[in-house]
Amino acid sequence: MQARHTLLLDGASLPARELVGGKAWSLARMRALGLNVPPAFVVTTETCRQFHESGGVMPAGLMDEVMAGVAWLEKTTGRRLGAAQRPLLVSVRSGAPVSMPGMMDTVLNLGMSDDSELALARETGAPGFARDTHRRFCEMFARIVLRAEIGALDPSDGPAGWRAAIAARGCGEVPADPAAQLESAIRAVFHSWNGRRARKYRQHHGVPEAMGTAVTVQAMVFGNSDERSGTGVLFSRNPLTGDPVPYGEYLARAQGEDVVSGSHTPEGLDALARRMPEVHRELLSACAVLERDNGDVQDIEFTVERGRLYLLQARPAKRSPAAAVRCAVDMVREGRIGPPEALSRVSAEQVRLLLRPRLPAGFDPSAASVLARGEAASPGVGAGVVAADADEAERLHALGHAVVLARPTTSPEDVHGMLVAAAIATEKGGSTSHAAVVSRQLGVPCVVGCGEGALAGLAGRMVTVDGTSGRVFEGALPVEQPAAGSDPALAALLEWASAEAPLRVLPAACGVPRATLDLDAIEGGEDPARTAGLLAGTRGASGSVLNTDAGVQAAVEAGLEFIVVREVLPALLAACAARRHAAAAA
Amino acid sequence: MTRFEAMHGLAIKKFGTPAAVADLLGAPPEEVQAGLEAALAEGLAMGAKGAFMLTPKGQQALAAEYPAQFAAHRADPALSAGYERFEAVNTDLKQLITEWQTMTVAGETVPNDHSDADYDNRIIDRLGELHERAEPLLRGLAARLPRLGRYCERLSAALDKAEAGEIAFVSGAKIDSYHTVWFELHEDLLRVLDRSRDD
Repeated sequence: MQARHTLLLDGASLPARELVGGKAWSLARMRALGLNVPPAFVVTTETCRQFHESGGVMPAGLMDEVMAGVAWLEKTTGRRLGAAQRPLLVSVRSGAPVSMPGMMDTVLNLGMSDDSELALARETGAPGFARDTHRRFCEMFARIVLRAEIGALDPSDGPAGWRAAIAARGCGEVPADPAAQLESAIRAVFHSWNGRRARKYRQHHGVPEAMGTAVTVQAMVFGNSDERSGTGVLFSRNPLTGDPVPYGEYLARAQGEDVVSGSHTPEGLDALARRMPEVHRELLSACAVLERDNGDVQDIEFTVERGRLYLLQARPAKRSPAAAVRCAVDMVREGRIGPPEALSRVSAEQVRLLLRPRLPAGFDPSAASVLARGEAASPGVGAGVVAADADEAERLHALGHAVVLARPTTSPEDVHGMLVAAAIATEKGGSTSHAAVVSRQLGVPCVVGCGEGALAGLAGRMVTVDGTSGRVFEGALPVEQPAAGSDPALAALLEWASAEAPLRVLPAACGVPRATLDLDAIEGGEDPARTAGLLAGTRGASGSVLNTDAGVQAAVEAGLEFIVVREVLPALLAACAARRHAAAAA
Repeated sequence: MTRFEAMHGLAIKKFGTPAAVADLLGAPPEEVQAGLEAALAEGLAMGAKGAFMLTPKGQQALAAEYPAQFAAHRADPALSAGYERFEAVNTDLKQLITEWQTMTVAGETVPNDHSDADYDNRIIDRLGELHERAEPLLRGLAARLPRLGRYCERLSAALDKAEAGEIAFVSGAKIDSYHTVWFELHEDLLRVLDRSRDD
């Protein structure tokens, strides 16, 4: 049979990303590099397009091809979908060629039935795990495929009870037949392409409606099969510091969900090295291959099943701002990428975070008196005289004082005081409280939840708030203002960005040239949406709006020769980003 | 539009133009302007650069008027029940906004610098789902106190922008982001029902 709707990801050829979507492409690429990934096949974006063109009808022959794909998975794994012995379970995921919101979440453990549960229990010797996998599958299928509003299913109800509870929601049933489960899930992925959120995103970003999403069907592997099984995650470099040393976590005899849910505490990678040195070596070598191939720090999910390593996913790693800078600069020095690419990997916002004031490296907390302790809610350090309410904060600020706003809690009424504060501290509430949310948004250091009454009586005193460690110190401690020029990695970025940026960026501290338009002195000059209009015909400008990405972009679009700002490097990076943006649009 | 209503709207905005207060209340701007000018004339508000804020005397006067003005709402069990449901969704919203602002890297919480579109898209998805859950509840509140319907429109507008890629409209502090409008609604409900926030 000539396949028209599906492609096996067997590594024989590298299919086009437009045809199979980003996730399947990445799996195919890993196979082509000789790495071991669980076998998978993909329903193409072309099939999704046919589905929608025909008004939501599954194309003729599609399910036959899907079942042929399943037969290939069965042959490769030696397992059978829905079988009472050695059952095959699969994951089903959506995957468009570009990432967009609104697409269907992944459904795991599809193929689960009463028979498969028993078989899985026998095979792993863990009936509790098999039962729990069954329940999680029912929850996922109900929520994601049927779009039923269900809470957590009661474990004591058992499979029949769960299925009845789901059916009672009136959104459909969890089919007992694995093939029917698969068909429903594929249909749901296709439908998600036309969901309200996905459509709106495509409209706004000019993504063609006809692009379509692919559906990847992949065999599940089990990290809890025996003592020589486990699961983990590996970063090709340390994602916190950027150290060029692989960093990872491993959880023996566990599934990926156990790591995510935090129900088990993972060990370091050396735990894997001790138990299975050959698997550890293979993993590190795969990690090096993937980083070289992608030219960026990789975040790799893996599972070991009965001593065999499987790579589940590899993607560019999320990283801290410090790691983003370090990795980008290191990779230029290693000759892996050029300076323009490095500049595109560090955002202005990341550098702003790194340039926040901090306590000096050698600071000894025991030398200072701690007035209060709470939860660190927004990083950085700020010192000032304590104001107990927002009006007082505004008054002291107007008099030229640095102010710390310290209150039992904050509310929208207090925002005007938070806007002028050097730091914020509260007595009640945690990391999701109003004070925490707003201070992070404003980039103001903040400590929350210091305890009822802990801040009473501080009004008028000078304090230093450390939003990184969650402490409020007595007095104004020496605070270090990091400078881009004194950090080797930031200095390198500064040099490259100066060469690349379409305009000159001058530090305000060195004075303002005469031909400069002061946006702060103009009505509406603080509104990025109006900046472009105000800049027409000028050579250079200053003003607080230029400390934002949107303001810098407007200056670049207006063709300015120079801008004057507080911090040079973030503005340069924003200017380089604006230039790339314009080039991509052209 | 009474002077009281204009002052109540201004108290939630704290510092705002008649147009912004009118938008919050869903009322004609010229009527809000008149209400705020009446408050100004009595020393209950002060004005600067076309914007107003309540004076301490205005705050006290407003607090003194609340029990009589909102007596019917405070005795309305449907409104109280709606508020309790709002608090439940509020907990989810705060968690979601926190995940928007921070992310976990190798077990540590670091600021989300919005460099990972997949991560951001998932959270905007969840915000859309939260909004769909909140809508019936907001309609229920508006059935008891019609001007609250305006919050639902403003929340939808913020969500629209966030979903279309203007991500500052998730939680930007200086604009009518989803979080800003949600908190104004929260503050409004606390004042109407005489509750106090717990954090």
